[in-house]
Amino acid sequence: MATLFRFSLLLVLLASAPALAAPPTLEVFAGSASRPAAEELARRFEGATGARVAVHFGGSGALLAQLELTGRGDVYFPGSSEFMALAVAKGLVDPATETPVFYRLPALLVPRGNPKNLRGLEDLARPGVRVGLARPDTVACGLYGAEVLEAAGLAAAVRPNVVSYAESCEKAVGLLTLGLVDAALAWAELGGWDPGRVESVPLPPAALPRIGVVPAAVAARSRHPALARQFVAFLAGAEGQAILARHGYSTDLAAIRRQARPGAPLGGRFEPAPGWR
Amino acid sequence: MGRLGLPWLVGAALGVSAALVLGLLGSQVGYAGLWAPWRALGSETLRHAVGLSLVTATAASALALLFAVPAAYGLARYRFPGSWLLDVVLDVPVVLSPVAVGVSLILLLRSAPGQWVEEHLLRFIFAVPGIVLAQFTVALALSIRVLKASFQGVDERYEQVARFLGCTAWGAFWRVSLPLARRGILAAFILGWARSIGEFGATVTLAGAVPGQTETIPVAIYLRLAGVDLAGAVALMLLLSALSLVVLVAVRLAGGER
Repeated sequence: MATLFRFSLLLVLLASAPALAAPPTLEVFAGSASRPAAEELARRFEGATGARVAVHFGGSGALLAQLELTGRGDVYFPGSSEFMALAVAKGLVDPATETPVFYRLPALLVPRGNPKNLRGLEDLARPGVRVGLARPDTVACGLYGAEVLEAAGLAAAVRPNVVSYAESCEKAVGLLTLGLVDAALAWAELGGWDPGRVESVPLPPAALPRIGVVPAAVAARSRHPALARQFVAFLAGAEGQAILARHGYSTDLAAIRRQARPGAPLGGRFEPAPGWR
Repeated sequence: MGRLGLPWLVGAALGVSAALVLGLLGSQVGYAGLWAPWRALGSETLRHAVGLSLVTATAASALALLFAVPAAYGLARYRFPGSWLLDVVLDVPVVLSPVAVGVSLILLLRSAPGQWVEEHLLRFIFAVPGIVLAQFTVALALSIRVLKASFQGVDERYEQVARFLGCTAWGAFWRVSLPLARRGILAAFILGWARSIGEFGATVTLAGAVPGQTETIPVAIYLRLAGVDLAGAVALMLLLSALSLVVLVAVRLAGGER
């Protein structure tokens, strides 16, 4: 018994030792949408500044709840501007530090080889086509997908074919790789994450009424605000943007404007028709 | 039911249970391939996740046992005012969903005494001890439940005889009741460990999902799913299944049970 006790005490001490000895760490709360690039961004920032960066991944909403609950966190980097607006409204981030990092547009994602030969939004209304979407009421990618369908006048026709509303954009694409749906409306760059199983059918500019913005901001209760500001600037700076672009994110605003409807707003609010919930 | 009824029922029930689990394992192998877990171990961060999972689950379930054995013994042997209520209340962590356990632990650690512990003793929020605490909370409740039943199954008269023959209360517990409850202790450890190694909701809420730091195997599975890497996620599921089977077989052998 005594040995067991000593052993557990040792384990607890071992586990806590790094936390006691470590230098201050910048805590970045990143939506899992930026996962492929965020770790490389963090390592580069560490190399350039000598600071340590811990990137917490999760859904943008769950991360915001953690930010509020724990009173910790230095940078909030959610998957969409809607969550940033919520963070600002709750006073959890410093609005003056909000900076756009990259841009995103919805696309039609299909299994590799496009077995159902889906060429455009109209095809989603074909009988027997199973469509996956993220929840329009809680997930930005679902909201933008719903808006795309409403703008095309196809919402009522496609809605009966939506077999599942996923709780994140990644899970909507996961439905595709699991073979549960024939198509998913999701952020275009996710089409490149699993090239062996998924391909993307780009939508014409006229079909895209709004451009998604992914911002980052310094948390209001950050313990290292100067370093956090430096990290946000790094994300939006030349080196950060190059890393993001290499991972398939759209960082060029002029280019993404050409892919969307002329005059399409950047972010902002859209109220989906009541039929979506 | 005729005389053949029971064997048939037993066979059918065992068959369905085994087919379900083997079906799960088989579909994991079918999707990712038998050697996928081995290939996944080539990654340094993943090896860290494996080590972290093994250490935290073992620490949490061993610590839980340390508290659960005397607590369960007390609940099984002594009646005191409110003991039945205490017995019921101790089940709450099992009833709460894991995410709710995580949020409640954060609220506890954000209270004045909790904050003092965080600042002066040990950091739990977004740190490795948080993983152990999240797993411990549920493992403790499960262990107490199993051990109480097990101590109740030990006839009190053995202890009385030991006391009569000159044993102290401590001696009767240590030399008589504890060895007789050995199977219950083993079962409690297995249940606590199995629940801990697969724990996700409370862990990710309290300790966060920082790759290479608070990334256990279940968190790694979640991160791969979040990266739409289904094949990678299934490889880790298979790894978790295989690893747990090895440990559980070893624990049973060490406990003299096969």
